[in-house]
Amino acid sequence: MNGIQPPTIEYGQLSPLLLVFGAAIVGVLIEALAPRYLRKSLQMPVTLLGLVGAFALVLTVVMQGVPTKAAAEGAIAVDGPALFIWGVILVLAVISVLLINDDNEFVASAAAVPGTPEEEDAIAAGGAHTEIYPLALFAIGGMMLFASANDLLIMFVALEVMSLPLYLLCGLARRRRLLSQEASVKYFLLGAFSSAFFLYGMALVYGFAGTVSLAGISDALGAVGGQNTLLLIGAGMLGVGLLFKIGAAPFQAWKPDVYQGAPTPITALMASGTLVAAFGAVLRVFWVALGNLDWDWRPVMWGVAILTMVAGAVLAITQTDIKRMLAYSSIAHAGFLLTGVIATGAEAQNALSLKGILFYLVAYGITTVGAFAVVTMVRDAGGEAGHLSRWAGLGKRSPALAGVFAFFLLAFAGIPLTSGFFGKYAVFAAAVAGGAVPLVIVGVVSSAVAAFFYVRVIVLMFFSEPAPDGPTIAVPSVGTAGVVAIAAAATVVLGIYPEPVLRLAEDAASTLFIR
Amino acid sequence: MELYVPILVLAVLAAGFAIFSLTIAPFTGPKRWNRAKLDAYECGIEPTPQPVGGGRFPLKYMITAMLFIVFDIEIIFLYPWAVAFDALGVFGLIEMLLFIVTVLVAYAYVWRRKGLDWD
Amino acid sequence: MTTHYLVLSALLFAIGAVGVLVRRNAIVIFMCVELMLNACNLAFVTFARQHGNLDGQLIAFFVMVVAAAEVVVGLAIIVTIFRTRRSASVDDANLLKY
Repeated sequence: MNGIQPPTIEYGQLSPLLLVFGAAIVGVLIEALAPRYLRKSLQMPVTLLGLVGAFALVLTVVMQGVPTKAAAEGAIAVDGPALFIWGVILVLAVISVLLINDDNEFVASAAAVPGTPEEEDAIAAGGAHTEIYPLALFAIGGMMLFASANDLLIMFVALEVMSLPLYLLCGLARRRRLLSQEASVKYFLLGAFSSAFFLYGMALVYGFAGTVSLAGISDALGAVGGQNTLLLIGAGMLGVGLLFKIGAAPFQAWKPDVYQGAPTPITALMASGTLVAAFGAVLRVFWVALGNLDWDWRPVMWGVAILTMVAGAVLAITQTDIKRMLAYSSIAHAGFLLTGVIATGAEAQNALSLKGILFYLVAYGITTVGAFAVVTMVRDAGGEAGHLSRWAGLGKRSPALAGVFAFFLLAFAGIPLTSGFFGKYAVFAAAVAGGAVPLVIVGVVSSAVAAFFYVRVIVLMFFSEPAPDGPTIAVPSVGTAGVVAIAAAATVVLGIYPEPVLRLAEDAASTLFIR
Repeated sequence: MELYVPILVLAVLAAGFAIFSLTIAPFTGPKRWNRAKLDAYECGIEPTPQPVGGGRFPLKYMITAMLFIVFDIEIIFLYPWAVAFDALGVFGLIEMLLFIVTVLVAYAYVWRRKGLDWD
Repeated sequence: MTTHYLVLSALLFAIGAVGVLVRRNAIVIFMCVELMLNACNLAFVTFARQHGNLDGQLIAFFVMVVAAAEVVVGLAIIVTIFRTRRSASVDDANLLKY
């Protein structure tokens, strides 16, 4: 009994995480205690204050010097990349929350069956689920924890804390309830299935190493030389769980369905935040824990990256729904990012790849939120005008909006003078330096294929006649307009003058992951 | 033999509580007779005759069961702490209090939103 | 000695995984996922015994709690879609495609 010592917890380093979760708990308390009419006006400030405050705390941790030792007895690594990713997730979360604040997107009462008097009553009463704010905060906190977990158990718990609120949020769209609920069920069943794989992989790796800490697994690898059935199967199953979350082929099937069905602000949060967090976790598992096993995982990852890039780019061409198209584009981008994950080598090479990935995540995340913000504004009688044909001639009816959207699409395609160009350049340059030239060739070719369908949408918007009963452009709320403006500005600035953010990414990457 | 004294005290306390509850109940509780009270298993569902395939029953049961599972399973974390609480000292106590408060917040939400009401 | 438990755990996991793939009722699929999680728990506890440390037993606690949370979220989602469609079959949920 005397062997047990109270653990030391570095509360200072973990303060951003604690603040986000604390704000989420305060949000639940507001739901419990505040009267209905007050809830929304309380939730919004609490959510924003929590996120902005957490961002300020991230900055203070950076100011005090990036920690060189993992916090909480080695369970959570607050290192350079983790702090950078936290910052990115929080920025993306703030602008996504501005989008979520738009009342019109969420169901009045999730318990009411669509098309029944109860639902009409709920809409007439003006009710709205303000639970979305605490749920989003829990998901954001989970994302941050996921990207900084230095221990497979924490990573699994973070994975669930991130995913469970998102499963629920997916089913809360105000319009097209059936689609939304179907997306929710699909996301939930597939997500739970994949996390079971992650867990069994974790069990096997624990069986191999006798520990679940990433550093401990890495040490155990050195002792055996990495030829162990338990280890190989375990690593593979861990990979299945993680690759599912980033939506890499062949585990990409959920992404288009979920992105299409979920309320668009939630799609924006998922497409940006979850991808960033999941890449943080992928890097940690494959670089820190399984870094010495790279001869075994690299060939598989090559295949996955190629398949992901090609599948994302080719399948996007056949899409007729704008959100599905963006989902396939997100799959292709996950593939481009994977080329950076593969390009490991000496420490300098790792830092180069990491820098590229971090910059890419910032650039892609912000542009994505902007693109989905535009999608929320193009509306039909029954909600958002999802079908691509409805977007025909949008450039003639609303040149500004169509212009901004075209600009976002060009950034996705990686045209110079947009943020996407430097992101792609940074990742591909690192991959070339890391000896993955064939992968980069596939990447460039699929970028070209992807550019084709982005340009097709632009042509559709500007060079075809608008339908007489075309969609209306909703007058955006201040929040939505702000999101589009911020995203457009960030895409321009990162495309013309990316040095500051690149340098920040370089500084964050230079320390690599601590163990 | 002295080692067994606490167990004996616990047994006496438990028996005392049971006997006290049984003897006091007839005097303090309301006596409203109905048919369901005489059923073998008093949960509101007629045990016989069984409908084909077990039949369907109201969602309220499931909500109660789910709430029970969620709050019940949190007790798991109390167990390791209870085993080592003297070694963990004040730190463990404060952390456990924070944990319980978090669970209570969820409980308050369920309670205020009428999740515990039957009708 | 612990091999039997590991084989049992692998079998349970495989039964669960196959169940997820072949069954059509969302509730049954979900139960199969739970079976997979419990197979993981068995593996963790077995490995904990094999290695002689407590980590695996502790992880099993966390997995149980996470599984309970997942049950609640999952059943809530499935009940919602059941009330809308009067069916919990995953084949009926086919609006999202192409």
